[in-house]
Amino acid sequence: MTETGLLLDVADLVVRFRGRRGKQVTALSGVDLTIREGETVGLVGESGSGKSTLGNAVLGLAPVASGTITFAGEDISHARNRQRRRLSRDLQAVFQNPYGSLNPTRTIGSTLAEPMHEQGRFGRAEIQRRIREVLDQVGMPADSAQRYPSEFSGGQRQRIAIARALVLSPRLIICDEPVSALDLSIQAQVLNLLGDLKRELGVSLLFISHDLAVVRYIADSIVVLKHGEIVERGPAAQVYDNPQAEYTQRLLAAAPAPVTHVPFESR
Amino acid sequence: MTSSPTPAPDSTTWIATQPRNRRRRGPLARFIRKPLGVAAAVLLLLGVVASFAPSLLTSIDPQAADFANVLSGPTAAHWLGTDSLGRDILSRIIYGTGPALLGVLIAVGVAALVAIPAGLAAAMFRPVDAVVTRLNDLVMSIPGIIVLLMVLALSGSMNWAMVAVGLLTAPGLVRVVRSSAATVTEEPYIAAARVFGVGKWKIAFRHVLPRIAGPILVNVSLIAANALVTAAGLNFLGLGLTPPTPSWGGLVADGAAVMNQQPWTLVPSGGVIAITVIAFVLLGDAIRDVTAEGWTAGRSKGASITRATTVPATSSDDAVIESADALLRVRDLSIAFPDADGSARSVVQSVSFDIGAGEAVGIVGESGCGKTITGLGVLGMLPGGARVVSGSIQLDGVELLELSPRERAAVRGKTIAFVSQEPMTALDPLFTVGYQISQAVRVHTGASRKRAAARTLELLEQVRIVDPKRVARSYPHEISGGMAQRVSIAIALAGAPRLLIADEPTTALDVTVQAEIVALLRTLQEETGLAVMLISHDLGVVSALCERAVVMYAGQAVERAPVGELMSTPLHPYSAGLLSANPHFATPGSRLQTIPGSVPPPDKWPVSCHFADRCALATEACRVGPIPLVAVAPGRASRCVRVDALQTEGVAR
Repeated sequence: MTETGLLLDVADLVVRFRGRRGKQVTALSGVDLTIREGETVGLVGESGSGKSTLGNAVLGLAPVASGTITFAGEDISHARNRQRRRLSRDLQAVFQNPYGSLNPTRTIGSTLAEPMHEQGRFGRAEIQRRIREVLDQVGMPADSAQRYPSEFSGGQRQRIAIARALVLSPRLIICDEPVSALDLSIQAQVLNLLGDLKRELGVSLLFISHDLAVVRYIADSIVVLKHGEIVERGPAAQVYDNPQAEYTQRLLAAAPAPVTHVPFESR
Repeated sequence: MTSSPTPAPDSTTWIATQPRNRRRRGPLARFIRKPLGVAAAVLLLLGVVASFAPSLLTSIDPQAADFANVLSGPTAAHWLGTDSLGRDILSRIIYGTGPALLGVLIAVGVAALVAIPAGLAAAMFRPVDAVVTRLNDLVMSIPGIIVLLMVLALSGSMNWAMVAVGLLTAPGLVRVVRSSAATVTEEPYIAAARVFGVGKWKIAFRHVLPRIAGPILVNVSLIAANALVTAAGLNFLGLGLTPPTPSWGGLVADGAAVMNQQPWTLVPSGGVIAITVIAFVLLGDAIRDVTAEGWTAGRSKGASITRATTVPATSSDDAVIESADALLRVRDLSIAFPDADGSARSVVQSVSFDIGAGEAVGIVGESGCGKTITGLGVLGMLPGGARVVSGSIQLDGVELLELSPRERAAVRGKTIAFVSQEPMTALDPLFTVGYQISQAVRVHTGASRKRAAARTLELLEQVRIVDPKRVARSYPHEISGGMAQRVSIAIALAGAPRLLIADEPTTALDVTVQAEIVALLRTLQEETGLAVMLISHDLGVVSALCERAVVMYAGQAVERAPVGELMSTPLHPYSAGLLSANPHFATPGSRLQTIPGSVPPPDKWPVSCHFADRCALATEACRVGPIPLVAVAPGRASRCVRVDALQTEGVAR
């Protein structure tokens, strides 16, 4: 690891997908991003901005065309199975859709055990103990382990997905729209949980969301993406309260705050 | 790592709202509850016994000819009669079972062993997909019967013919496995497994295969049925098994030869094939259901309300309702879904509200609170089995609930229009946008083709589409989500409605587009005097568009208020909780005010206050009986007995 506690360093990242009729579609063109130990970076943008692609590239779910992704000093731009398995101890993910993020045919216990089984160095008793521990951390009862995902609500499933991400005690969790599919009161519970974990475990988060208010609440710094390029970055309060880029200003103006009847300007 | 964060204050109550610990039955216990599956299993088990130990089931030699009783019908000695040589048909069926089932086993085994890995590989590895798909098409185009005849001619063995049957039927299964696996591989939990470094084949067998077991089982049972019929067909033609050996197909052939003298002989021989085919299919279905029940929550399908039930009369809406000349007047509306046992489970309870002409009213709440069902109830389009159990819906003084379905349909579109959350699903991908709008115009106004085309362009202009002519010629996939929502609003406006029910019209859209759609609805409201019933979970959108709002919680209206007052001084703890849970108002780093737990499902709703279990202000008084919605201030109503405490203490914001 480098001296400044730099955990993730994405440099000049380009991601291309094969589009229709063999045409190349550039999803990210030359993106730079760093995350330090314990830092939460919010990644904001609208659909098609490439924000999820950036998270996926770090997780090895999107092809890196050029540029480098360095995690804890190690180049992981093209990490494959064996390196991924080792990496998954430190690098985890929580995805958006709480209904698709858990395998419905497996119990919560076996879902939580899988990352540890894959590591191949944990005993049965150790796995059971750790499962109880993470379930407790996310505020779920221990007997959840014997149940199936269909028995839980969306918010509870998202807690379980967070528990799965925590099982190996990672240093960075990529959270891709982790609360967007949740109702407001449930969203607040999950945001509080992430805030607690951040404070008490010192885990870093890459928090991807379209919702600026949510990002401002959880993130230390904000990066705004548009069409695969970064248009603005800075400390959360600064980006939110004093946006420089025209696009950020538009995003902020458009997000309807529940205030006393201020109509939108017609555009 | 041992340090665990101190449980959040809300996590204790979280535990209290866990789903009840439903005891799961084991797979065998679940299977036994399926009479058709059990019958099929018993029959096939009998078949297995017949295959291995036919002498246990009959003492008659299948080859023993009883020339005194040739072509007899069922008798005490020969239960299913005899054939033209006087051989016992039952005994021949029993001795023919072994070869028949072995053939099926071989065909199914070969098909499954080839098709499942091939289909999975095609779904998971892009290069393999091209090869598998081509090969599949090739095999499908081979004329099966010729291959079978060749195999039989070369090997003379029925078993090799069944291997060929398996290979020939595999492509169908490959397609099923490939397409259903491709859908599953899109799921985020697959991505999560890849993040752990789980190998692709492990993912395929551990995470994908169990999910698609249902379609595979159904297809395998069809392959089994097909293999049995094919084998019988070959035997009928005298191929594979040579005549003195008993075979089911051979029995049919014997029967067909003597059809004119003794038609009965065809009944047992054809019957056993038919019954076995049915047994395969039923068993496949039963096993599929048993596997799926292992992990899905039980849900009643196709039920209807059959038992007369009393919906808790929590009606008593004491609040005086605002406008006397309302366009839409909903009173004590209660809607129920059928429960598994045919009783009514109420999902909307005594909801009352008015919408004046040209007014925008928001229906606010989280999922599971009944807002969408209320909207569909007003529209008269309740989903499967749900019905209005009591109440009244008046539109311009006309009672909608007394109209016939046909009259109700005439109201839809003309007076009340609907815009849904997913604009793309509201549009038919096969037709141009212009065609779809003009169809709506013609249905509602009976205009000529030419007039409708002109009106279409007007409507597109009305929803602020810049280049109406070009958009009218476009297909839905050629336009953006925001554009599609404008088009579906244009379709809604085709009948010049007076009330627009918009169910989460902006939720699926990007924020900048969201703002444009809200602005558009507002302009339309001002220009055309359109009344809007806006169903939304988003207080921001509601406050941008509506004058008044109804907050719904667990099937009840818990607060009615002008939007501004609702935002500044909520008078129900749930409204207050929704506002304080909003990160818009939160200081970064501080904890958000949360409502502990989640919205309870309808079968957990108490007769007393529905919110009491999650409410910080709840006292004994909240749990004794139904809480009425009462007027608490001019134009405001709240369903809370602690409203005084709420007003004086306030709720943390």
